[in-house]
Amino acid sequence: MEYILGILILSAINLVAVLGLSVLTGFTGLFSFGHAGFMAIGAYTSAIVTARLHLPFAVGLLAAGLVAGIISIGLGRLTLKLKGDYFCIATMGFGEIVKPLLNNWKWVGGARGWESIPKYGGISLLLPFAVAVIAVILSWNLINSRQGRNMVAVREEELAAQMAGVNVLRSKMIALVFSAVLAGIAGGLMANFIGFIAPKTFNMVKSTELTIIVIFGGLGSISGSVVAALLLTVLPELFRAFSSWRLVFYGLAVMIIMIGRPKGLMGGLELTPTSLRKAAAARKAKRDTAAATAEGEKR
Amino acid sequence: MAQFLQQLVNGLSIGSIYALMAVGYSLVYSIMNFSNFAHGSVIMLGAYLGYYSMTLLGLPFWLAFIAAALGTALIAVVLERLAYKPLRDRKATFLYFIITAMGASIFIDNFVIATIGPTPKMFPAVFAQGPILFGKIALGRIDLAMFVISAICLAALIIFIDYTKMGKAIQATSFNMKASTLMGINTNMVIFIVFAIGGALAGIAGVLYGMKYQVFPQIGGITLKSFIAAVFGGLGSLPGALLGALVLGLVETLVSGYLSTQYRDLIAFLILITMLIVRPSGIMGKNAEDKA
Amino acid sequence: MNVAPILELKGLTKRFGGLTAVNDVSMSVREGGISGLIGPNGAGKTTIFNLITGVYKVSEGAIEFKGKSILDREPYQIANLGITRTFQNIRLFKNLSVFDNVLTACHMSAKYSLLESFFRLPRFYREEVILRKKAESLLDVMGLSDRADLTANNLPYGLQRRLEITRALALDPALLLLDEPAAGMNPDETEQLMRLMEEIRKSHNLSILVIEHHMDLVMGVCDHIHVLNFGCTLADGPPDDVANDPKVVEAYLGGEEIKSC
Repeated sequence: MEYILGILILSAINLVAVLGLSVLTGFTGLFSFGHAGFMAIGAYTSAIVTARLHLPFAVGLLAAGLVAGIISIGLGRLTLKLKGDYFCIATMGFGEIVKPLLNNWKWVGGARGWESIPKYGGISLLLPFAVAVIAVILSWNLINSRQGRNMVAVREEELAAQMAGVNVLRSKMIALVFSAVLAGIAGGLMANFIGFIAPKTFNMVKSTELTIIVIFGGLGSISGSVVAALLLTVLPELFRAFSSWRLVFYGLAVMIIMIGRPKGLMGGLELTPTSLRKAAAARKAKRDTAAATAEGEKR
Repeated sequence: MAQFLQQLVNGLSIGSIYALMAVGYSLVYSIMNFSNFAHGSVIMLGAYLGYYSMTLLGLPFWLAFIAAALGTALIAVVLERLAYKPLRDRKATFLYFIITAMGASIFIDNFVIATIGPTPKMFPAVFAQGPILFGKIALGRIDLAMFVISAICLAALIIFIDYTKMGKAIQATSFNMKASTLMGINTNMVIFIVFAIGGALAGIAGVLYGMKYQVFPQIGGITLKSFIAAVFGGLGSLPGALLGALVLGLVETLVSGYLSTQYRDLIAFLILITMLIVRPSGIMGKNAEDKA
Repeated sequence: MNVAPILELKGLTKRFGGLTAVNDVSMSVREGGISGLIGPNGAGKTTIFNLITGVYKVSEGAIEFKGKSILDREPYQIANLGITRTFQNIRLFKNLSVFDNVLTACHMSAKYSLLESFFRLPRFYREEVILRKKAESLLDVMGLSDRADLTANNLPYGLQRRLEITRALALDPALLLLDEPAAGMNPDETEQLMRLMEEIRKSHNLSILVIEHHMDLVMGVCDHIHVLNFGCTLADGPPDDVANDPKVVEAYLGGEEIKSC
């Protein structure tokens, strides 16, 4: 039971981080290699707030999001003007800088990591799920607003977006800060539910794994990200025996998705009551015409 | 002073490997306009190919180089055909290229971990252990080999690019692919050649790196440094990549020597970020205004 | 003809390294008029559009919109001031529906903030309704309503051009820049386009500056024409004068190369 709860908590935490990247990569078209850096910042912030300042967990989480957000503003100011690849490489540099800094910071455990971070039980176990639900709602609301549409315009055609009066830099900044805040909060949740953090947990593989989840769910689909985050946290737990092949499969699948079905599992569509009704109606129409032609052929 | 000169020598030797890596990466960038993040994995495969050529096949070390270079050239070309060509045909945006490259890199690295295993492997000793002494400066035989082999490869590449018809076609394509196609240049062929060259250089770099240190699946991650070098010199510029690699090699050895190895990567990446902010086109990069 | 110009270029110059793409060009667009910008390929026409919209930085000279300099404005600010454009090689938001293409461009008509978006406060709902109505009515006027749900990429070529104009109109511009709107169109479609330009000029109270190679279109709708050659002004005036200008005839029919200004 505790094992299942653990997996569920882990999927909720992953979901929070993935949603941010979904907005950044899936909707705004920016690719980051460094979001594990923001998770690390959130994890260490929350750990410091709870273990060293002895403040409540919720404060730790808020601080985690806040600090990651503020740092992302700085990073964005410096790097969002860069075109395409250069931004990717800059985020990679950012992620790789966070690690050695933490490695050399003895007060928080240095390279060996930090144990004995307060863990929470009881009612606090609901917190990851509450945060995940809030994150889904906020992401959904953002994407379906004029600010969200501007992000998609930037992804689709940056120059045309500018000519349509979109402040490209601001749109990118909103996406980056939103994703960093969520990554920071996810990091905070991780620190306080696992009770142990080390700089090497937050390496580039962690960053790319999060992005892989977004790609599985489909670039430009919030519901796809949700489904993928749950599936890709639970499935590996079920197939533990094949764990060494997990990333082999992920890498291959990412390539196949990009080449064959670039919109991922959900094909860039959202899973909503309306879209389901539409799809059902389309299927019914197809069946009816098929039946009608079959009927016609019989005669 | 002697210590400084010693660091200088070490820096040039490691810098020359970075140069081999960075040049291949930059060459592909200049044509395709995207960062081939799978380049590091190809370098890693080169190290393994070299290792197995010597241990399993018992080839002499110069043949192992050739085997590794041919093998990685083939791998790079196959990767281009299978993974990037469909994207080119679809005129996909750069985001798809970069994600595909990331997928390829994850696939290759973890395939090696899953099949061969994560344990590092030692190259059979090729060179005598003792360093060559120039006064107070000790020059490792492997370091010397690294420097000489890199220099030969880079010189060959520069001659190829500047003096052959295909080299000129590569230059033209990197300047403007569409116009080059219209002028009758077979850009598919150019891309094929560029990946083959980049792959071959990656293989050689991998073997050299493996000989100097060890062979292990994460070599690709360490070659992130070659991206820094390429960016520092200017993405897409070959002389830039060369210069950037040598500067990076020097900075790294000097930081390790005078500060601490712990700060080596930190400083390297700080240089990267600073460069991106101050002069994103690098020391020698082309500074193109986006044509509307 | 004494109406103040809505757009004025004064001694506009753009150099790319050693190449002077636009050399000391002065011209103006009359408020409520349709001006044509013509010239052989590579004459610098699109570069002038890119300078006006802020995509390129001006090397020398001045650009005044409604009497105020717009040189230090960012491209998106210029768009929001009321200059919008279309592109020679159509640039739509390809994977979005026709409706969403227009809805996105309507964004300046709504004033709700990011916070109101996140938490869906009342103003969000009120203004979203207005935005959607505006997009619908624009599509209606432009005859694209029945294709609103189609992905922009799947529209026929002629309608893609029309959608691009619709998107440009969504910002309620005062000046519309059209870059070869009739490229690839047959005479019938060109005819339709000319009527459309007249209509939207009147209904939206627009001034239009158009780059075009179709001489029928230029002579048919423009009240003023500016001719460029190798980045320099060759002629400037009413259509009839320009058409009879020997320099223009020479440039178009390929007399001796005129390289200097």
